[in-house]
Amino acid sequence: MNKRILIILAVAFLATSCTEKINLKLDSTYTRLVVDGHIKSDTMVYSINLTKTSDYFSNAPSPRMVNATVSLTDGTNTFPLTETVPGQSGIYNTDPRFAGTIGKNYTLHITLPEVIAGTTEYTASSQLIGVTKLDSIKSVFRTDIGKEGVWQVKIYAQDPPGTKNYYMLNLYRNNVLWSDTINKIAVSENQFFAGNYIDGADVFYINNSHKWETLYPGDTIMVELSAITKEYYDFINQVKQAGFSIPFFTGPPANVQGNVSNQGVGFFAAYSSSFAKTVVK
Amino acid sequence: MNQRTLLLLLLFLLPGLIPVMAQKEKQKTYTISGKVTDIQNGESLIGATIFILEKKTGTVSDIYGNFSISLLPGQYTVTISYIGYGPVKKTITLDKDISWKIELSVHQETLKEFEITSEKNDHNVARPEMSTFKMDIKTIESIPALFGEVDIIKAIQMLPGVHSVSEGSSGFSVRGGAADQNLILLDGATVYNASHMLGFFSVFNNDAIKDVKLYKGDIPAAYGGRLSSVLDIHMDEGNSKKFEVNGGIGLISSRLTIEGPILKDRCSFIVSGRRTYADLYLPLSSNTALQKNKLYFYDLNAKINYKAGENDQIFLSGYFGRDVFKNNFAGMQWGNGTGTVRWNHLFTQKLFGNFSANYSDYRYLIDGGNGDASAFQWNASLKDIGVKGDISYFTNPNNTIKFGVSATYHMIDPGMAKGTGGSFINQLKVPKNYALETGLYAGNEQRFGQNLTIKYGVRLSVFQNIGPGTVYQYNSSFNTTGSTIYKSGKFFNTYFGIEPRLGILYEFNEKSSIKASYARTNQYLQLAQNSTVGTPLDIWFPSSPNVKPQLCDQVAMGYFRNFRKNTIETSFELYYKWMQRVIDFKDYAVLLLNDTLEGQLRTGKAWSYGAEFLVRLNEKKLNGWVSYTYSRVFRKIDLINDGKFYPAPYDKPHNVAIVLNYKISRRFMVSANWIYATGNPLTFPIGRAEVGGKIIPIYSDRNAYRYQAYHRLDVSATLFSKPKPGKRFTWDLNVSVYNVYNRHNTWSIEFTQDDINPNVTNATKVYLFGLIPSITFNFHFNNE
Repeated sequence: MNKRILIILAVAFLATSCTEKINLKLDSTYTRLVVDGHIKSDTMVYSINLTKTSDYFSNAPSPRMVNATVSLTDGTNTFPLTETVPGQSGIYNTDPRFAGTIGKNYTLHITLPEVIAGTTEYTASSQLIGVTKLDSIKSVFRTDIGKEGVWQVKIYAQDPPGTKNYYMLNLYRNNVLWSDTINKIAVSENQFFAGNYIDGADVFYINNSHKWETLYPGDTIMVELSAITKEYYDFINQVKQAGFSIPFFTGPPANVQGNVSNQGVGFFAAYSSSFAKTVVK
Repeated sequence: MNQRTLLLLLLFLLPGLIPVMAQKEKQKTYTISGKVTDIQNGESLIGATIFILEKKTGTVSDIYGNFSISLLPGQYTVTISYIGYGPVKKTITLDKDISWKIELSVHQETLKEFEITSEKNDHNVARPEMSTFKMDIKTIESIPALFGEVDIIKAIQMLPGVHSVSEGSSGFSVRGGAADQNLILLDGATVYNASHMLGFFSVFNNDAIKDVKLYKGDIPAAYGGRLSSVLDIHMDEGNSKKFEVNGGIGLISSRLTIEGPILKDRCSFIVSGRRTYADLYLPLSSNTALQKNKLYFYDLNAKINYKAGENDQIFLSGYFGRDVFKNNFAGMQWGNGTGTVRWNHLFTQKLFGNFSANYSDYRYLIDGGNGDASAFQWNASLKDIGVKGDISYFTNPNNTIKFGVSATYHMIDPGMAKGTGGSFINQLKVPKNYALETGLYAGNEQRFGQNLTIKYGVRLSVFQNIGPGTVYQYNSSFNTTGSTIYKSGKFFNTYFGIEPRLGILYEFNEKSSIKASYARTNQYLQLAQNSTVGTPLDIWFPSSPNVKPQLCDQVAMGYFRNFRKNTIETSFELYYKWMQRVIDFKDYAVLLLNDTLEGQLRTGKAWSYGAEFLVRLNEKKLNGWVSYTYSRVFRKIDLINDGKFYPAPYDKPHNVAIVLNYKISRRFMVSANWIYATGNPLTFPIGRAEVGGKIIPIYSDRNAYRYQAYHRLDVSATLFSKPKPGKRFTWDLNVSVYNVYNRHNTWSIEFTQDDINPNVTNATKVYLFGLIPSITFNFHFNNE
């Protein structure tokens, strides 16, 4: 919330600044395992994506981590995952009958066919937290911000009192995920509205001059509100900051803190979601 | 204060007092004392030289123009001189105490615009003071500036041993210190944030400023509270003889200053204002949203100077400045306010006192989400109220004792946010901090024979946290395990610091000397800021049961030599600094509105060293300086960079500054400066991972890479109105070009994912200013 204001301020002043592409020579570093995936409390297939890190300017898709043995435990039960195209895809799916249970702690176990960063064994754990009901959403067009105006998407929900709550918000436009990269996902903690009724908080700002992603009257939009752990909340925030380097706002760059053991990168998340729809007017 | 400290203080004072007592036994001495002022406007002249020809010794006037020197009875020739002014010579028979009022006039051959002279004092060689740099405002005004805005801080950044933290920033690092380790004083009141517009301009309006002195080391015992430097800025006192109006019109701002007598020769005033008007053009914009934006800053300075009698002078001065930014969605305001009341008193011809009360205030306010359900307002502030007393006792020509006491009460409101206009936002309040910072110092400057002078002193600093206050307890992983709440008025934590200061001067002859110094400094108040550039959202936080005071020991030595009747001063200084318990922040630290801020801190040690070469020119036509600095600074903090040491963000080994000003004729002057610095150290990504459609960088060791070297040439030319005696209206026109050869100096490098092929990453360099020409018109009017 506050960072956005600073950015507006800086952009207003830095109108004179210029950019140019440059060529940099950067060193290499050792390879790490990358985990990317989540499970939820709905019954469906969930995918865990395993890849390897590469040089920063490798400019190619990340090398896939194939032929790994992947399973999920909740302390009592073990759920094996299977690679979609064995030996090729690096994508590991749960059974279609799988659903997470609210309140349980899930651990992902990975055994690699090769040694990465000195080990073949990796784990990542996350608690699955229940989410409050998303009552409704609304879209509002504001002409007084930006060159061609801004679409704001507002949400209405009760913040459960007595706890620190962390939220993640995804937006779908005409049933297609609009928030398709972490940059577009919104996250919030309830520090500023603990226990209050969230009475129309603006969670998405869509620049109307971005014609490829703006809203049009008649569009159906849907917001997915998810309750996430503090660790996942911090992770998303750090990913959003990484690479964003206007010197005013960011501290020194630092590696994003995920929940994968043994210097693995990325996050295995567990969460539950609530949905609400509306038609843009 | 305990007895041991008292004893220590006494021990330091004794060597100064013994000769006083001893001399009384021997032979009577008489004192010549007085005050040196400018004949045109009655303002006191700081650092004027009083020289006794027969004795080959002398003294200098203090910051209020006062001086005192004691001599055996006899015949003496005394000269009183000051840069840019015609000297006064007096021959006297000293058989009683003498008090003078010396009025010096601007050197006949020089216009007021060029305070340059062939005569120059020998402070560089003969004063037991090193690692300092003093500039009058005329020198600063002659330096080409960005957008033509004369800027004291930007001038300071061109001195050897001083680095700017980033292009266009008002933050500066002195000999490897952090930007919050500089004590910036405006007429004795602390200025906590010297930046306007995110640092592109500093808060000091040159029309209201008289002179500036920077202490990079060898910090006098009278100052304390910051590790690395003191920047002591004095405001103009106002003309006590006649009314004057000064003004200037520039691209960014306009200035207007009025000064004059309230009571002739007794009481004068000065009022000065500056406002930017970039936003006045916004309504002309075709962008309707932009038309209603506001973006400006202003400064107001005022001072009254009253000579209550022969022995008393009272000053009242104040500063107020604000930055205002507003659009339809959000607004932001920030700024400083300072106030000083000062009383100078001559108890006897040998005993001067000055007593002051200061107020200083920095605050910011943010309004956000206007018209939305999440509308909020956020306030934070820092206030100081302080008193100070300093006594100078000119015991005899060989000893000058100085001692004093100061106390400052700090009130810190780290932030309070609340919803506005029916918003669902809660009130969120970070507990306030209160603290009392006291200082007690004593020192003596003692001459041993013709060649050796030793300056020694000690400062005792005390810092106390006062309730109401909340102190959190942290475990080894920096999570809170509990908290203690202290009642209002309770002194719940105390730190003592004993800070010895030592300076040695050995003069080989009139032209050359060597000097050495040692100073220990403590810092009890620091800035929670981890961005490289600095933002207005400054939060200062005090030492506390969890945060131990920062400590610095600095040793320096140097060789000083003057040439051509002191018109060329050269120096070579070496320094080494050890800093303990310096503060850095954990990765992705949350510093704003965080009541467990202390859990975000990581402390460790830092060290810096360097060599500074300086040639300073004060020729009649040519003045300025050329300097080269080699310096390094490293930090080692347990939980940062895996505990390995790393270069600090302002570690820029090589620095060159050439600042020259050439007076071609009485009407025409040209200036140029060229600066070169090794690029800032940076952390770059050396690997990547793909998560959630985004490429996550994997970083190198902290600050393992560097930007390209920074260099830039600026030039300016000034045309003055025709000089005519008795002319009431004069003007000058300044044209300047910033970054003449249009170098694209790196301000930041951004790493982005390609829009078309998300597998491709690009590095993009951001640079702020290409070639920027500007023009400024200044005028001066007086009623005589």
